Amino acid sequence: MLVGIWAIVAVLPLFFGGTDFIMHILIMCLIWSVVASCWDLIMGFAGIFSFGQVAFFVIGSYTSAIVSAGFGVPPIFAVFIAGGFTALVGILVGLPCLKLKGAYIALVTFAVHMILEPVLKGDIGQAIGTGGTRGLLSIDPMTLFGYTFTTASPIPYFYLFFLVAVACSVIILLVIRSHWGTAFLALKDSQEFATCLGVSAFKYKLMVFALTSFLTGMMGGFYAHYVGMLSTRMLGIDLFVTLMVILVIGGVGKFPGAILGAFITIAINELLSPLGPFRPITMGALVVILVLLLPDGIVGLIQKLSRGSRGRLSPKVH
Amino acid sequence: MIEIRDLNAWYQDFHVLKNVSLTVEKGQVVVMLGPNGHGKSTVLKSICGLVEKVSGIIEYESESITGLGSEKLVNMGITYIAENRELFPQMTVLENLKLGAYSRSARASEKHNLEKVFDLFPRLRERRSQLASTMSGGEARMLAIARGLMSNARFLAVDEPSLGLQPNLRDEVARIIRKINTQGITLLVVEQNIPQITTLADKLYVLEEGRISFEGSKEDALGNDHLKEIFLGM
Amino acid sequence: MIFEIADVIISGLINGSVYALMAVGLTLIYGVSRAFNFAYGSFYSLGGYIAFLLFGLSFINSYFLVFLLAAPILLLFGFFVEKALVAPLRKRDDWEIKVMMITLGLALLLDNAYQVIFGARMKSLPPFLGGAFEAGDFYLSHQDVGIFFLSIGGILVFRWFLNNTRTGMSVRAVAQNPAGAQIVGIPKEFVFAATFAISTVMVGMGGILLAQKYFITPMGGWDILVKAWVITAFGGMGSIRGGLYAAFIVGMLEAFVGWYFGMTWTLIVLFAVLLTTLAVRPQGLMGKWG
Repeated sequence: MLVGIWAIVAVLPLFFGGTDFIMHILIMCLIWSVVASCWDLIMGFAGIFSFGQVAFFVIGSYTSAIVSAGFGVPPIFAVFIAGGFTALVGILVGLPCLKLKGAYIALVTFAVHMILEPVLKGDIGQAIGTGGTRGLLSIDPMTLFGYTFTTASPIPYFYLFFLVAVACSVIILLVIRSHWGTAFLALKDSQEFATCLGVSAFKYKLMVFALTSFLTGMMGGFYAHYVGMLSTRMLGIDLFVTLMVILVIGGVGKFPGAILGAFITIAINELLSPLGPFRPITMGALVVILVLLLPDGIVGLIQKLSRGSRGRLSPKVH
Repeated sequence: MIEIRDLNAWYQDFHVLKNVSLTVEKGQVVVMLGPNGHGKSTVLKSICGLVEKVSGIIEYESESITGLGSEKLVNMGITYIAENRELFPQMTVLENLKLGAYSRSARASEKHNLEKVFDLFPRLRERRSQLASTMSGGEARMLAIARGLMSNARFLAVDEPSLGLQPNLRDEVARIIRKINTQGITLLVVEQNIPQITTLADKLYVLEEGRISFEGSKEDALGNDHLKEIFLGM
Repeated sequence: MIFEIADVIISGLINGSVYALMAVGLTLIYGVSRAFNFAYGSFYSLGGYIAFLLFGLSFINSYFLVFLLAAPILLLFGFFVEKALVAPLRKRDDWEIKVMMITLGLALLLDNAYQVIFGARMKSLPPFLGGAFEAGDFYLSHQDVGIFFLSIGGILVFRWFLNNTRTGMSVRAVAQNPAGAQIVGIPKEFVFAATFAISTVMVGMGGILLAQKYFITPMGGWDILVKAWVITAFGGMGSIRGGLYAAFIVGMLEAFVGWYFGMTWTLIVLFAVLLTTLAVRPQGLMGKWG
């Protein structure tokens, strides 16, 4: 399925390559597909109610921008530094909170999100070069082997993001298919049972936290160099909900549903833009309706249909 | 009073009961025996509407009750007394008993039943303002049975009343079961550690691997060497 | 200086009392049904907007009438939301995360609907009482005293309801032992919906009370959600008494930090305190239901 999705995405520029606007949207789709997939790995597979995904993305983007501007690090290295720093933050957040129960983890990670805005805007943020309320307005563009990517020619940029997204999704798939993935399924079924088998819940959870925050932070870095400016507006509820809609549409714990979800959601979002202020209302209503009617997302629906056609008998239930 | 035909039950995908059929006549004490984990509790819970996935026919006084929820069944006079008691730990004995009379049909006779229950278990009267969590195993067991009686039940499904009980209290449990029965309440009891209860039985069932493997009177059971050794401990 | 500190303490007490009312509602849903309501903040704003609309009606001239009319509206609204959105999800294995998602969607829907209907500008409610106690530099408005006593009164009524009514007892029963509650024939689904409805009334009332001091805005509920959440976790999810203590601690902390360091620091300090508490006591101050 993953191969199929990426194969289709790879040829999209053949059709839309001429329209910068659509190419920009496709690039955003690639970015959000990675961020949402990471969230899915944490929430859907590892069963950790983390709500810090947007915060990690923003931390990564600011780190990369500051590192490349302040220390003259080429953006292509800066994004990895950003990933590493975000992973470090992820571990710091994970250490106290992964021992807590579900809803508490949601709170602590959401707290990171909520604190980030005052920190970035406030004196601390000004001191490390976040640009305060104004944000960062001129971030170096990405360069690779002497070639500078610009938004004016989006096709090379598209394929850069495409490669990064493919790499990230392969890593995520490997994690899910690996020993980790099995361990998480065991953990979700029964924490006690898994502990008996010697699966250290804490260790695995911390590792998955570190990995996803690394990928998310790195993607944040790529984003920063692509759009060239940053502000704390990303921390508003809009992006958070968009990511959630992606997961709802794709299906939680149904990788690569999140990737599919990203393309569909961003497309819907753009199609709804003529609605103006009614757009967020529609998105909210969409979440509500989809969670009720399509609880396992599109991938869940596909699975159900293919299973149904094979005619599996289910017990008669009163 | 209770008539079960071809009952099947599942916990998630695990098929626990396979075509179980059994009958409990009005006024009887029926005892079910069998190894642990073979589905005895599930039979009781299925009757009382506490198992989600069931199929087959369960009739109560010739009326189908398959698939009805516990709130309806308790109201009709069918009550389950759990093996692990399932009390409300942060409530007093009195509050636990009052909640036993939650169903609509039991509300009117709450006061009357309370007196009856206190007569049966004088210990509970003494401890009525004590928290359920602070009671000993034996007292908690009595409270669980008493709470079940508060519902005005005509049919009681009692699940392993000897669990976690000191041996000297077992006689007491058997005495109470007999007393409840003489008050006209029909009982289906899962219990194999109290020979006195087995001797009370009008009928015995043995459940093995989710199927009924024996049905008959005490005398039949005593004549069956296999049963005698394994289940009756005689 | 003395009067300044007295002011800070009073504002901490008053905010703390309203927070207590709202946090108790949030902890109640969690304690009874393990559901987490992301739209709780939007229900707070809903209370404010309902009051605003009611004041627009010609025959409404007192807060008494507003409370009297707003309470059943909020109750019905909460009940309906639980039945329509939360209850259908409960059968699923992963219902907790689905509930968070659907309530988040609802929050987005409501907040933006407020924006469209009422506009982004702040709305205010008339003060609930005029006048003030004054002694030299000391100033305490009657309104603040009223808010304090109404919140405390609300909590006491709620306590009475839990301990002395049949529905209240069944709410406690489900919280303490859902299996036991089912055995005695308590309709769990009804209790879940009733709890959700009651908590909606509590946060909506909190919204009406605080809207007199802090205005109503479409997105204003998020701050409240986070605070109620912090208080709930701080006091121990599901613990009503813990929530009460935590609400006053948070109210005080906020008042003092805001006064000494400035308002931008309050959230940061709150989270620092919360994290420290959770690191030492993962179950919060008071553990579970009490």
